[in-house]
Parts: sequence; C-alpha cells; structure tokens
Amino acid sequence: MSMFRRTGAIALSALVVSAFLVIPSPASADTVQTRAESFIATASARGLNIGLLNNNITIGASGIEMNSTPKAKATGGGVLLAPGTVSTVETTAASQALAPPKACLLNLPLLNLLNVQLACGEAKVDSTPGAPQAFGQGSVAAVDIGGQQILALLSPVLDALAPLLDQVVGTVTGALTPILGGLLPGLQSTLGLDPNTGLVSSLVDGLKKATQLASIRLGNSTSQGLSETGKVSSIAIAQGGQIDVLPGLALGGAPLLSIVVGSAKATSVFDRSGGTSTPGFDAAILTIKLGLPILGNITEIPVKLGSPVTLLAGTALESTIALGAGTTTKNPDGSVSSVADGVSIWLLKGISGGIKIELAHAESSIGGQSQLVEQQKVVEPVAQLAKTGSDPWIPMAGFALLLAAFTTRRLVVARPSGNRSPSDN
Amino acid sequence: MLINLLRSHRWLRVSLSGLSVALLLGGVGLVGYPFFTNAWQGRIQARLDDQLVSPELQQAYKEGKVETGDSLTRIRIPAIDVDVVVVEGITPSALRAGAGHYPDTALPCEGGNVAIAGHRTTYGRPFGNLDQLRTGDTIELITPIGACQYKVSKDPFAIAPDNLDVIAKTTDKMLTLTTCHPKGSAAQRLIVQSTFVQDLKAA
Repeated sequence: MSMFRRTGAIALSALVVSAFLVIPSPASADTVQTRAESFIATASARGLNIGLLNNNITIGASGIEMNSTPKAKATGGGVLLAPGTVSTVETTAASQALAPPKACLLNLPLLNLLNVQLACGEAKVDSTPGAPQAFGQGSVAAVDIGGQQILALLSPVLDALAPLLDQVVGTVTGALTPILGGLLPGLQSTLGLDPNTGLVSSLVDGLKKATQLASIRLGNSTSQGLSETGKVSSIAIAQGGQIDVLPGLALGGAPLLSIVVGSAKATSVFDRSGGTSTPGFDAAILTIKLGLPILGNITEIPVKLGSPVTLLAGTALESTIALGAGTTTKNPDGSVSSVADGVSIWLLKGISGGIKIELAHAESSIGGQSQLVEQQKVVEPVAQLAKTGSDPWIPMAGFALLLAAFTTRRLVVARPSGNRSPSDN
Repeated sequence: MLINLLRSHRWLRVSLSGLSVALLLGGVGLVGYPFFTNAWQGRIQARLDDQLVSPELQQAYKEGKVETGDSLTRIRIPAIDVDVVVVEGITPSALRAGAGHYPDTALPCEGGNVAIAGHRTTYGRPFGNLDQLRTGDTIELITPIGACQYKVSKDPFAIAPDNLDVIAKTTDKMLTLTTCHPKGSAAQRLIVQSTFVQDLKAA
C-alpha cells in the first residue's frame, strides 16, 4: 500500500514539475496597421405606397445614399411617376454643396393666411470630406393655415380676460378640491401651477407663441444622412398623415396638438471611433402628441401592435401584416439595417407580387470601419532564427537522475555486511 | 563501511532516502518532458482550431491586430503529414503551440517572404520530418480570410542560427520554414524555401 502511495505521489509531483515547464505565458500585442475610415449609409422612406401585381404607385417618397469617398445622393418626390414633383441631386466631388429648388406640382401661398403645396420633392447634398450630408424629402400635400393676424387681434382681449378667467378657474378648483380629495392639489403640484392664476394665463402665453393655426401634411417622408464628429447616421421617417394644431405654441416650437396617422422611423448609427453600428426603429399606427404648456413637456401617446405577422408562410398565398412594427438586422460584416412600418399589408406575395399597401414605411442601413491611425510597430528584433529543438541533455539528465535515485535507494535499504541475520544463510 | 555509517546514523539514512525521492522526481520529469509537451501542444491546438474560424479572429486578421500567441494560419504539408495551426510570434510561449510566424515578415499568402518556425522535437514536433521535404512538394496555408499554395523550390539545407538572410524581406511571394537541426539539437537551423503558386478557395 505504501508503495502505491509513494508511486502516486511521485507521479503527481512529476506532473506539477512538468506543468511549470510547459504552461504558456500571456500573449502581448505587437502590431497595428493604418487604415482610412470608410462607411456607407442608405435610407429611404415612403408616405404611401400601393402595389398591385408589381405595379407601384408611390407618393411622398425620399431616399439618400452617402459614403466616405465622399459621395452624397438625395431624392425627394411628391409622386414618383410625375417628373415635375421629383428632385434628385448627387455629388462625388469633394467639398460641394448642392440644393436645387424644391419641385412642386402646386405651390400656392395666399397672403399669410394659407399656403398649399401639392406633390413636392426636395433634395440637398453636401460632400465635405469626412462629413458628407444628404437630405431628401417628399410629400403629397401640405397645407399651412396661418393665423398670426387673428391671434394678434385676440391677444389684447385674452390678456384682459385672463385674470378674470383665472379667478373663475381658481374658484371652481377650490370648490372641487373637497370633492376630488387629494387628486387636484396633487396634479397642480406636479404641473407646477398656481391654482388661482396658472391655467388660463399659461394658455394665453402659449397662444402668443403660436406661429400658425394649423398645419396638415399627407404622405410625408424624410430621408437623411448625417455625419457628425463621433457618429454617422442614416435616418428615414415616414408619416401617412399629420395634423398639427397651433404649431409653435408648445415648448421647442411643438404644436398644441398633433395627430399622426401611420408613422415609421428607422435609424442606423455608425460609431466612428468604435467602428460599430447600431440599428433602431420606432413605428406606430397612430400617435397623438399633446403639447399643452401647462403640462410642461410634450405628452406622446403611440398606438402600436408589435412584430410583423406572417400568414401562410412558404405558400403562394403568403401574406404579411405589420401594424406599428419594425425589425432590425445585424450582418456578419458588422453592418446593420432597420425597417419600420406604420401600416403595411402585403397580401398574396406569391402571385405576381400580390397586393401591397404601405402607409408610412421607412428603412435605413449603415456599415463601415473606423479609422486606424498608424502607430509604432513594436516587434522585438530577431537575434537569431527561432529555437525549436529541445536540448539533448534534458532526457540524458533525466536518465542520470533516475540512475542516481536508484543507487541512493539501494544504499538506504542495503544491510551492513557484518550484521547478517540467521535467515540470510 | 558506508553502509555501517548509514546504519549508525538514522538522520543520515532519512536524508539519503529523501534525496533519492527528489532525484526520482527530477528524473521522471526530465525523461517525461517531451511527452508532456506533446500533450500540452495538443490541448493548445484544440483551442487554436476553434479560434482560427472565429469571427473575432477574422476581424483581427483583417485589421492586422492578431496578437502574439493567437491563431494566424493553418499550415498543411501533405508530403510529411503536417496539419497544424500556426500562431503569431516566435516567443518561447507562442512556440508552445508547435509553430509560429516571425512577426516582422509578410502575412501568409501576401506579398513578400512569409517565415514560419516549427518545433523539430517536443511540442507536437510539427516540423520533425522537415528534412524529408523535396523540391516540388506543396505547402498550403489557410488563413481566416483565404488560402494559398506554395511549392518547395529547393531541398532543405542547414545554416547557422544567426543567419537571418533567409527571413529577410523579399519582393517575390515566398514561404520560408525554419526548424532546429540536427534533430534533438539547436546547433543549426534547417531551412525550407518555397515559392507562391496560387491562391486557393478556403476550405
């Protein structure tokens, strides 16, 4: 038993000794090369697209292409089949900014009261090296109802009435407080309002800031390529329809009320220092934005259903329905893309393209490599060709040690010649 | 007399017994050293196999950021049954993988002189039979982004370890393999030079 123990201990110890000889040490970096930054970004958006058996009618379309060469291309169109409503511009020359006039089927300003634009397209590019920009916008109808004169006339009257109305409101809220318990004071506290003077005065102040009475947009789409210090973005935004009431009234120039039917936003962002790209999207069937000054900020209420649904997949009758939905994709080469749909219904895909109805469709993609600055290459100079053979003395020394161990052991267990036991004979 | 001395002094006997165990340990360790290195190299190669096909390494390779000790290329020499992953660098720790790429030489399959060192004995001895290569034998390099083929341009020859001419930069696309010579010694280096034949489709 003791022999087994000893042998086991020896074998274990030998393994430990050998492990010290062969365990590798940590590696170290030693090379860096030079590489220029490169990126490519695309974005496109459609306000409304109707497709029937591969025949498409697209209104309110826009698109951009941009890369680091630099190249910048932008398109904006009211109705893609109508040439007078489409604006396209492209540049590949360095440091060139182009912005042709907006192309509209109808552009009718009536004094300061009404401005009607039908089927308009706009495109702008800038090819500043390292910072190209591209912008495309298309809309099928835009109506701005001005009203600053009316608001100016109303302003003195409202100013005169405001204290009285505030007092009335204060009285009403005072009467309601016992009924509503802690709810009303809590709300007033949250909104930072004086219950006696805040509500009406705040509204009157807001009305003075309003720039128009209303603004209506149909089939509006915007595609944008943006180069900034730390990032490059491709952004596509599409809206089926939008009605803004009292634009400019709320904080940051937002309208008092905004109703957006079918909205889609797809973004792809390239991090110029890290070389990574990130996709994102936002989509809704309906969005209501409340910009009441008394609320302090804009309240947004989106209605969305989530992921696209595909029915009868793999058959000729395959149909996909996306309501306030979107997807993102990351490719093996690091590029990314994103797609967003306000409302997208594509029926019977397998039958000659099927039937497609899109209200607010946006897609974007981006990919690239960050710049790599040349650095000193740190490589240990090679003094001689790599030593890749073991020293021949190692196994010989091993055998010598084994022989010495055997001899020493023999000495230890040997018995003295003059002290033999009787059994030895 | 020595035995009687040992008998009369127990401490001497115990000391000598301890010495014999120490000698035995040392002996087993040194004799088993080549076998342990081979086993260890096998474990390293298993890890390098996975690393060579990883997207992270592919990216690092494209950017020229492969670190010392990381997979760089696979070398296949059908004539002497070699199929091993070559790491970046020729430091002693890097060469525990079996074969390493001289860092200041061209990257595999690219323009210039690509130099690779491999163990002749121990650590899997991938270049153990390098002396058996002959002119015309083929060598394949499979990198994370491609593959190529070289052909041995002249029979192996021995040089002094400090003769660095064989790994000097060249304008021609070529591959130089180095290993220790003669087998079991580091007195000289055995050199195999080959010229680029063609790019291959990566397996």
